[in-house]
Amino acid sequence: MSAMEGEASMQQAPIQSELWRGIKGCIPVLLGIVPYALVLGAQAAQKGLSVIEVPLMTGLNFAGGSEFAAIQLWTSPPHIMLIVAITFLVNSRHLLMGAAIAPFLRHLPKRKALPALFAMTDESWALGLSDAKARTEQGMQPAFSLPYYLGTALVFYVAWVGFTTLGAALGPVLGDVEAYGFDMAFPAVFLVLMAGMWKGFAAARPWLVSLVVAALTYLFVPGAWYVAAGAVSGLIAAYVLAGDDA
Amino acid sequence: MIDPLTVLTIVLMASATYCTRIIGYLVLRNRTLSPRATALMEAAPGCVLISVIAPHFVANNPADLVAIAITLLAATRLSMLPTVMVAVAATGLLRHFIG
Repeated sequence: MSAMEGEASMQQAPIQSELWRGIKGCIPVLLGIVPYALVLGAQAAQKGLSVIEVPLMTGLNFAGGSEFAAIQLWTSPPHIMLIVAITFLVNSRHLLMGAAIAPFLRHLPKRKALPALFAMTDESWALGLSDAKARTEQGMQPAFSLPYYLGTALVFYVAWVGFTTLGAALGPVLGDVEAYGFDMAFPAVFLVLMAGMWKGFAAARPWLVSLVVAALTYLFVPGAWYVAAGAVSGLIAAYVLAGDDA
Repeated sequence: MIDPLTVLTIVLMASATYCTRIIGYLVLRNRTLSPRATALMEAAPGCVLISVIAPHFVANNPADLVAIAITLLAATRLSMLPTVMVAVAATGLLRHFIG
């Protein structure tokens, strides 16, 4: 009890400055996500989502890669199971991210850690974790600064929901975004995300399998089966290839 | 304005996403993954992303094929914002001039 009070008072003083440090820390990264959010909103509007449904998706789901994938596959009515399964698969990287950040959250009770994890994005995770590592080197306790992390996440959340909504509102005004080449923003964003995950050619072999199988399925099988076919073939390849290396 | 099926899809998407955010923390924090499970989890997001965009790699017009090649090249060298700008500009111009 006294240890907890001590920790609380130690954290109390810098909470605001820590929050502010987080807000400032992520502003440069915002430049990258604003156009991405606008394009997502505009594309979602073209697929028939309303100016209320778009922030509902980006605000509740709050994971850009999966939202791009969902919108790309969106039909009217939507294939619910396909979209939910793809969302889970695209976001399966969170499993590893959560495992990696877990040791830094030991000082937090679950009632704080679980809500905080809602805001875990590629960006807030990376910023929070690198900050925790820097603070460890400086001997600061706790290494993981919750207010700093929440500050970065807050900015992302407001910007993400705000600019996707703006994109949805502006989408119909802009007309067919494909005519200008904006649809290429999707593969561009995905390829940059994949470049960030790149760990050498050997580790990327399952991606190549996915690409080939998905492309062939797309050419010869009607419907959106190409995503499931490509993803599953890649996972089988990853499983088999991992056995070779082990 | 609000379609019940759309809302259902969104709520289920959001639940799936929140599960991915907390499962790693709740289940994996005290465990060591096998190399095979780690390889599988590391490969999974890329497999899905590349599958979603695979149709761009087999587009039926030369402008889009050149555009995806330029985009791929940009993505390996530049960060998010410049890559998106290069990709959109190249695609718009190529479609205009080559069709």
